[in-house]
Amino acid sequence: MAGVAFYATSLAILACIYGIIVTGLNVQWGFAGILNFGVAAFVAIGAYTYGLVTLGPPPAGSNESYILGLQAPFLIGLLAAAVAGGVTSWLLGAVALRRVRSDYLAITTLAFSQIVWVIAGNETWLVNGWDGLAGIPRPFNEVLELSYGTYDLFFLALCLVVLAAVTAMAEVMLRAPFGRILRGVREDALIVASFGRNATSLRLRAFVTGSVMASIGGALLAAYVGAFNPSAFLAGETFVVWTALLIGGPGNTLGALLGAIVVPVVLTEGTRFLPHVTTNSQFIEALRYFTIGVVLILVLRFRPQGLLPERPRTHERAPWSSRWRGGARNERSGGNPPHA
Amino acid sequence: MSLFLASLGFGIVTAAIIAVAGVGMSLQFGVTNFVNFAFGDFMTVGMYLALVFASGLGLTVYQVVPLVVVTTGLLGVVTNRLVLAPFTRREASPIILLVVTIGVSMVIQSGLLAAWGSHFQRLPRARAQPLHLGPFLVTPWQLGVVAIAVVVMVSVHVLLRYSRLGKAMRAMADRRSLARVVGLRTARLTDWAWFISTALAGLAGVVLAIDSTTFTPFTGFGFLLVIFAAVVVGGIGKPYGAMLGALIVGIVTSLAASYLDSAYKDAVAFGVLILVLMLRTEGIFASRGRD
Repeated sequence: MAGVAFYATSLAILACIYGIIVTGLNVQWGFAGILNFGVAAFVAIGAYTYGLVTLGPPPAGSNESYILGLQAPFLIGLLAAAVAGGVTSWLLGAVALRRVRSDYLAITTLAFSQIVWVIAGNETWLVNGWDGLAGIPRPFNEVLELSYGTYDLFFLALCLVVLAAVTAMAEVMLRAPFGRILRGVREDALIVASFGRNATSLRLRAFVTGSVMASIGGALLAAYVGAFNPSAFLAGETFVVWTALLIGGPGNTLGALLGAIVVPVVLTEGTRFLPHVTTNSQFIEALRYFTIGVVLILVLRFRPQGLLPERPRTHERAPWSSRWRGGARNERSGGNPPHA
Repeated sequence: MSLFLASLGFGIVTAAIIAVAGVGMSLQFGVTNFVNFAFGDFMTVGMYLALVFASGLGLTVYQVVPLVVVTTGLLGVVTNRLVLAPFTRREASPIILLVVTIGVSMVIQSGLLAAWGSHFQRLPRARAQPLHLGPFLVTPWQLGVVAIAVVVMVSVHVLLRYSRLGKAMRAMADRRSLARVVGLRTARLTDWAWFISTALAGLAGVVLAIDSTTFTPFTGFGFLLVIFAAVVVGGIGKPYGAMLGALIVGIVTSLAASYLDSAYKDAVAFGVLILVLMLRTEGIFASRGRD
């Protein structure tokens, strides 16, 4: 029984962390229409930064090597991860977002992700190469001195607080004038530009915000798992996050959270209980990605607006009336299918 | 100097492979107007098909090439009909179609992973003595790869310039709605574009497998970004630009592999890509992009 509770807690933590990362992508794709295929890179940047800042220096005599090792507390590590994600995404976005064409942006961000991956793996002095970082301290572990199972509940609470903060921020962005202009950029950047707003700068802000969220998610992932190496952020991880958002409902804050529960937890962890039918050790892993790929295609084909569609908004309507009138509109027109 | 010449030679071989793939990708992009992120995985399909045909039917590597080309081409048509055509009929945006090809890529990669696992595979090929060709030291296999690429480039040129099909495809790439108005069957042309594009992907996959000797279910996807670099450098949707882009990227990556670190040769290709995107927005063969 304790084992089940422990497992459920770990799944909930996973869902929270994915919720933060998917919300970050939602700000980019759902709100602003930015095709970011480098999600995994920003998760990795957050995770590595958190590890480097909170770990002590590599022990003498071991063959580990990495930079920094500041032994800083949790909050400093989280902050450093957010700053690292923000700075790198700003640098990348300043180059990649100058162009309007989305397909080039997709290629550039995917290429960036591969570059980060190659550097993390090959530059052994930086983050210990392919072996990666291990023994990343769990936040407040020494102070609390909780048992293993109880500590997980504490960590879950911590993740929920961060998730709530990130979701609230996304929802505020969505309702604020800034969110409205972002949707304008998403639908037609030219019109926004003709009203004298700088579409590139608006997109850059959304890109950086979403990437910071992904990095925060990465930091929590590293703190929870206690280790991070390049095999944790293959390009496939980016597309798991994408599928989660597209299933949940791009442009809808709760949709992003729903997607984060459905895809990583149900699809990924659900297959854990399948019997091993072949000797191929990667069969189950392959089956997961196969299912996610099929689901991705089917969702785009039959429910492009996702499970929880983006609520249609018009500025003259009060939020409370849009909620129940919006329902009827969803039935008829399928809501506002973004970018369809 | 000899290192420079040697890497130049390798660069030309790499360029030949990228060119075959890049022309295929560009052709399909021109006609359908969305980037196919599963293109690299069709290359991988070509590699595994070659493996199956070679070991199953006991054929030599060069004998399986035509079989692989036709089979991957047909698989491309099936993918288009089954997966992508419903979206095209609904006039979904190119971006949605791009994301759909991501799904296709995941299905192909994980399908191959489920069937073969991630062990390194290799095509059976005879050991061959290297030849001295002017300043270059090449193996007959490398010569074969370059020869195949030259034949493909000439055929694509003839197809686009002189055949009705090629002219119709160019018309469709220019303006889809106008092509439909003058009576071109755009759905059938799209099938043809997919056939030729994925057939070239299969061919590029086999020559890549011949050249780099080993492959896994992820080899094609890894190569995808190098093809993107070449295609974007040459101007996306322009088969002739892709040939030039392939030459630039192939030689630059090979020089980088010799003078820097071979792990970074792909990273250097992306460096070239980002540089081109910053300097010339639509690639070297600049023309107005379509959105």
